[in-house]
Amino acid sequence: MIRFLLRRVLGATVILLVISAVTFLLFYSIPRDPARLACGKTCDPESLAMIRASLGVDRPVPVQYWEYLVGIFAGRDFAAGPCPAPCLGYSFRDQSPVLETILDRVPTTASLALGGAVVFLTVGLALGMIAARNQGNLVDKGLSSLSLVMSSMQIYLVGPLVLAVFVYHLQLLPSPRYVDLTEDPVGWFKGLLVPWLVMSIIFTAAYTRMARSTLVEQLREDHVRTARAKGMSGRTVFFRHAWRGSLIPIVTILGVDLGSLFGGAMVTEFTFALPGLGRLAVNSVTQTDLPMLMGVMLFAAAMIIAFNILVDAVYAWIDPRIRLS
Amino acid sequence: MGKQRALQPRVRTVLAALVVGALAAAGCSPGGGGDTGPREQTRAERATLIEFADAKASTGPAEEAPGARRGGVMPVLERDSYEHLDPAQMYVNSQTTMASLIHRRLTAVKLDNKGRYSVVGDLATDSGRVSDNGRTWTYTLKENIRFEDGSPITSRDVRHTIERLYADFVTEGPKFVQEWLADTSGAGHRKLLPGGPYKGGHLPDDVLETPDDRTIVFHFKRPRNDLPYALSLTGYGVVSQKRDTRERYDRAPATSGPYKIGEFRRGRSMTLVRNDQWDPKTDPVRHAYVDRFEITFNHEYGKSARELLADADPNAVTWSGSVDVDTAQQVLKDKDARSRTIEGYQIFVAQMAINMDRVDDHRVRRAIAHALPTRAVLAPYGPGIGGELTGGYLNPTLPGADPSYDPFDKVSKPGGDVKKARELLEEADAVGTRLVYAHSTADADQKGSVAVADALKKAGFDVQRKEVPVDNYYDRIGKVDNGWDIYRSNWGHDWASAATVIPPQYDGRAIEDGSANYSHLNDRKVNREIDRITAITEPEKAATEWFGLGKYILEEITPAVPLFAYKQLQIAGSNVGGVVFHNEHSGVDPTRLYLKK
Repeated sequence: MIRFLLRRVLGATVILLVISAVTFLLFYSIPRDPARLACGKTCDPESLAMIRASLGVDRPVPVQYWEYLVGIFAGRDFAAGPCPAPCLGYSFRDQSPVLETILDRVPTTASLALGGAVVFLTVGLALGMIAARNQGNLVDKGLSSLSLVMSSMQIYLVGPLVLAVFVYHLQLLPSPRYVDLTEDPVGWFKGLLVPWLVMSIIFTAAYTRMARSTLVEQLREDHVRTARAKGMSGRTVFFRHAWRGSLIPIVTILGVDLGSLFGGAMVTEFTFALPGLGRLAVNSVTQTDLPMLMGVMLFAAAMIIAFNILVDAVYAWIDPRIRLS
Repeated sequence: MGKQRALQPRVRTVLAALVVGALAAAGCSPGGGGDTGPREQTRAERATLIEFADAKASTGPAEEAPGARRGGVMPVLERDSYEHLDPAQMYVNSQTTMASLIHRRLTAVKLDNKGRYSVVGDLATDSGRVSDNGRTWTYTLKENIRFEDGSPITSRDVRHTIERLYADFVTEGPKFVQEWLADTSGAGHRKLLPGGPYKGGHLPDDVLETPDDRTIVFHFKRPRNDLPYALSLTGYGVVSQKRDTRERYDRAPATSGPYKIGEFRRGRSMTLVRNDQWDPKTDPVRHAYVDRFEITFNHEYGKSARELLADADPNAVTWSGSVDVDTAQQVLKDKDARSRTIEGYQIFVAQMAINMDRVDDHRVRRAIAHALPTRAVLAPYGPGIGGELTGGYLNPTLPGADPSYDPFDKVSKPGGDVKKARELLEEADAVGTRLVYAHSTADADQKGSVAVADALKKAGFDVQRKEVPVDNYYDRIGKVDNGWDIYRSNWGHDWASAATVIPPQYDGRAIEDGSANYSHLNDRKVNREIDRITAITEPEKAATEWFGLGKYILEEITPAVPLFAYKQLQIAGSNVGGVVFHNEHSGVDPTRLYLKK
């Protein structure tokens, strides 16, 4: 297990280095000047040069990148203040510490991702099981058709529709907003209810279809037939033998989804005005804010990698035949 | 100042005090525009000269908003978080609107219950005492004015406020006063006090004098008749010398207004709570009716408009969010919703700049002016909602602006006059002239560009459209050697004078990369006239002369074609009172808001 983790962490570090280098290079390949946005409305060349120097973007890109990496491991000093390791720098736009800003946004994104996952996983797996148990009949066909329709919808369509009908017009659901769980648990739940439901409409379909197809496949496996031949009840065979075997592909897709959602559910956050990492990422791109962009990219990549490692570890728990080595 | 990052209203700059045009009835009928729908600035209400008020008018407390009551928590739905809290760095409209509640300046623009604007003393006892033919201005601080920590605001703080504007880290706020004191423009003004006051240096007494704790004297080399206007900008908000932490002041400023910052989570939320050190008797402008403002960010304009239209939270309001074009139709059809709206002019006027370096035949420029279909350019913004056609360069709210002025028939013939344009091109033997037309990738600009290109083609131009990413559109058109012939630009005034419109856009001596003279007009007569009119001390005469110069530029040179003046429609929750449009904010005045029950 330790060897497995060490190997994966080493691999993750290399991936993060590559991602950071690529992001840095991509940033400087676009024809935009981060100093311009801080130069006021009447911006003369002399002022622009002064701001470039203060942001440090007047130096060669490799030097900037090296200093960035050094900052992560050893910390750096900026005009806006000292930045202890792991230092991701200060925002070009508002001089806020990048790491602090990211950590401030994590609870929103994590609440959105985990709460949504609970709903779409529960509903999706339940519907998938019902469809698999009723394979071929009207219930199966109905659920399969429904999941097909749902999977073809998008949050940017369903979100505003739900807001217009259920929140603004009928006022049956609370208006989305984010309050910290620790401050107001009820407000937290009510504020995220609509985003969770809308996310679930989109994601549930995929899990329903995945659960159904893998369960159907499992029900045809030899070990399931053997269990039946031993005289086990249909329910025991279904849940103890077929169900467990169907979990691996579901866990795989869940790992990918959660990793992506933790990196920032951009469309959901924009649709419901939630202050998460996705919005932070988009804003940092539009505002040419390199430190913030780097921070969010690295965090998102780290989340995806972490969830992949977690998924690999869970495989072994689900299926004892799989060895982490 | 005032170039609007078009199409990207986030960086709309505040251009301060316009003129009249307040929604007078809104002030008299709490809660909005009344039963007849949104109160709109009428042409008659607009262009009146703003008054520099005396000590009496500068004395607090501010005139009560009709029907106002104290108490309650007001949610504020804003799109953009505040990038700056240091007043010296504030120039963006959404920030300066919020700052009107926390940062006080020497002067302020006051809107009374009758809809009249005046420049009054805010921290100062009056709007300023001028001498030496406009070269010397003296201000006396009021008594009992304090920062949030209880420390008194003295002339040393005001001196420090001005001196720190010369520091390298102050880059985003207005530069008028710094440049006037240094008698130069551009970055050269920093040489007057390199690095600011942080190395022990100060501005000499013959530039800025503080003979005692309450007196500040500004000495200029030339007449600076607009100083009271300039000092009312948020960028000149007072900074505590004792608490100044240079760049870090941006995170924790010492406030002086009726509210202070309870909590600020960048990109998420801000809470403003009462500042118990603020004495209403010293403030002729602001109220503090609401106990607390709870501002949340990330509400796109469409979303906040729909939420307010549905009255999901009757106590909610938006300060800088406008009703988007789609939602506006629903708002205007709904009697209840209409009664909760306010409407007014933004500071910006849209133009089509013509690159004088490349299009050097006046007949060709006139042909462009006649051909442009202004109706189609305005259409994506919502005619009457997002803007109004204009025939001249000046915003309709500016003194001196003549609403009937329309030399190229851009208002009377908004479809364009292709026939006349063709005649001019034939006269110039320029039919088939290649015209590179740059426009941004912003949705509204793209939509309008189709009709523009079509009309110019019909007139006889060989039009080549060039799409420019909206994010760096102004950087690209701001290059002197941009390689294009015509391109859209927006400009707004900083205060109620064309002195902040004509010189920045048409003074040929300021042409360089990044300047707002997008047409690259460099005309000796225009430059001379700019100097002459700037020195005029009578505001009324100056207003007339500025209009005359704008007329000369448009008719005799035609470096740009006026398109439309931007407008703003806003809506508030049904329990929000004191909803009045304030020209300084291009939107609602947050200092008058209250909860009805």
